[in-house]
Amino acid sequence: MTDQTESATLLRLVIVDDHAMFRAGVISTLPDDFQVVGQAGDVDEAVAAITELRPDVVLLDVHLPGGNGGGGAEVAARCAQAQSPSRMLALSVSDAATDVVSVIRAGARGYVTKTIEPDALADAVRRVAGGDAVFSPRLAGFVLDSFGAPDMQVAERDEELDRLSAREQEVMRLIARGYSYREVGAELFISVKTVETHVSAVLRKLQLSSRHEITRWAAARRLL
Amino acid sequence: MTFQNSQPSGAAATERLPLVRPEAGAGRYVGGVCAGLAAHLGLPVQRVRLMAIAAALCGGAGVIAYLFLWITVPVGDAEKVMRQLADPHRVRTVAPPVEASDEVGKQPWYRGISVSDLVLGFLLVLVALAVANRSITTALGQWLLPALVILTGALLTWSQLDERRRGKILAETGGRTPWSTVRMVGGVVLVVVGVLVFVGRGTDTATAISAAVAAIAVLTGVAIVLAPWWLRLIKDLAQERAMRERADERAEIAAHLHDSVLQTLAMIQRSSTDSVTVSRLARTQERELRQWLYEDSPEHGTSLAAEIRELAVDIDEQYGVPIDVVVVGDAVPDDVTGALVQATNEALKNAVRHGRPPISLYLEASERRLDVSVRDRGDGFDLDSIAEDRFGVRESIIGRITRRGGTVDVRQIPDGGTEIRIRMEFPGDDENENS
Repeated sequence: MTDQTESATLLRLVIVDDHAMFRAGVISTLPDDFQVVGQAGDVDEAVAAITELRPDVVLLDVHLPGGNGGGGAEVAARCAQAQSPSRMLALSVSDAATDVVSVIRAGARGYVTKTIEPDALADAVRRVAGGDAVFSPRLAGFVLDSFGAPDMQVAERDEELDRLSAREQEVMRLIARGYSYREVGAELFISVKTVETHVSAVLRKLQLSSRHEITRWAAARRLL
Repeated sequence: MTFQNSQPSGAAATERLPLVRPEAGAGRYVGGVCAGLAAHLGLPVQRVRLMAIAAALCGGAGVIAYLFLWITVPVGDAEKVMRQLADPHRVRTVAPPVEASDEVGKQPWYRGISVSDLVLGFLLVLVALAVANRSITTALGQWLLPALVILTGALLTWSQLDERRRGKILAETGGRTPWSTVRMVGGVVLVVVGVLVFVGRGTDTATAISAAVAAIAVLTGVAIVLAPWWLRLIKDLAQERAMRERADERAEIAAHLHDSVLQTLAMIQRSSTDSVTVSRLARTQERELRQWLYEDSPEHGTSLAAEIRELAVDIDEQYGVPIDVVVVGDAVPDDVTGALVQATNEALKNAVRHGRPPISLYLEASERRLDVSVRDRGDGFDLDSIAEDRFGVRESIIGRITRRGGTVDVRQIPDGGTEIRIRMEFPGDDENENS
């Protein structure tokens, strides 16, 4: 991931948020090697900007006006349909699991809360640009909850989509505890790269599995 | 209690009880009209009933009066209404006094008999008498029989429009419960048959049948004409109710925003130079709003997750340090989780005092296992001094947990910070651990 940032000249960003003030705030805290090429305030603007500008990373708010009312998830889904190469990082104040999970399932590569520290945000953007997944502790908590932790069943093979492997569970638990990827790696005696692989695998399962648990779990909490 | 009761009954002697029909079971056999009248007029209920029956035999005047009162008089507890009028501040917490029920509780032997059975039985006996007695049949049978049938049908349908159920029936737009539908349809059929027999008496069967067909055709035609109007009425009603509910909801949201968010914003503007206060205000408001928006706050004492979240809020409010809380699963609080919550509280205070933010709090709860992790990001540490420094706190955490069979693990994280892990396991159904 470090070689990624060294080799890349400038990271091109599009910021999608319906609050201009928040966009300005984010832009002012971004480091110099990030270049904000576009901004958008609603779903249709966002899709147009992303497909036209083809940025490396899109900072995507979960709640957006316009379009069919699908918010950030709709943007991610429509861009994915348009074969956009841009990677999405969801940025939200929402704590509602459905909001977060739906935007991830629509194709976002990570989720962080808007209260994130500027350094951590820059780090997350670089990680997403490098093709990795970014899980905040809260998202890791959602994942564990939705996969039925703590009594969850362990996947025998990594290919099983509806379950997490034992290692993936461990990684998720540590992230939920507030560990950074590096700390997770140190704790489990694996490299940061391996941690990233596990997190990406969890992301893939979240996106691809039939996920009856998620629906059931969300329904049980009257979220759907 | 006894002295207070003497007051309303004294008032009842001078001032009349309001005219209401008692609720089902409380001295009510058909519609409760006689019982209500008796209470209102201060007469023995038997006398009122006898008078009603006598009036009913005088050309049915009593029946009509009875039905009129049945529909118009509301249901309620006269004594209660009276007491509320007499002393609106007194809240009823005890069972109704004996005197309220003694005039209606005198004949307990027919308490269990269904009212509708009695009425139907009575009507059937009348019909049987009418059929058996030739003289009546020839003289009165021609109108008595159909009249009785109509009356039975009307009773069946009208009993649905009882004040008590009217709202419910409207809410279900037409009484969707199967029993009420059966009653409604049965009643209508009886009335129609009765009317046909009544009107068609003295004619031969063929004429009667063709008249019946014509009548039904007319009714069907009217129903078809009126159906759209009726459906629209029902729809409008439902729509209006939904709109009212939405308006109420909006009013509630506006009130909430005004009470909380706008006040906080005003406070932030006033103390805009003090960044610590501003961020604390913002955090408190955010938490409150979030809770209001996303969480159905569980009933107190039913959710360990809620207790843990409250703990984090308390620490934030006390020390002004934000806590990142992640909760997976939930459990019902008991002694063990109580100890866990206390230990977590100590761990959080410890983290706030000795570590550096951000502080993370993690809870994973299930029937079999409770896992809590509190981690801070204190930089560079001297293990010895920390061990000494935190000895007491550690004891209070570790002691508490180990006494309940749990384990505590305090670890230093190489990148900086300390994590306290508390774990409790409950032996039991381990057989489906890895099923």
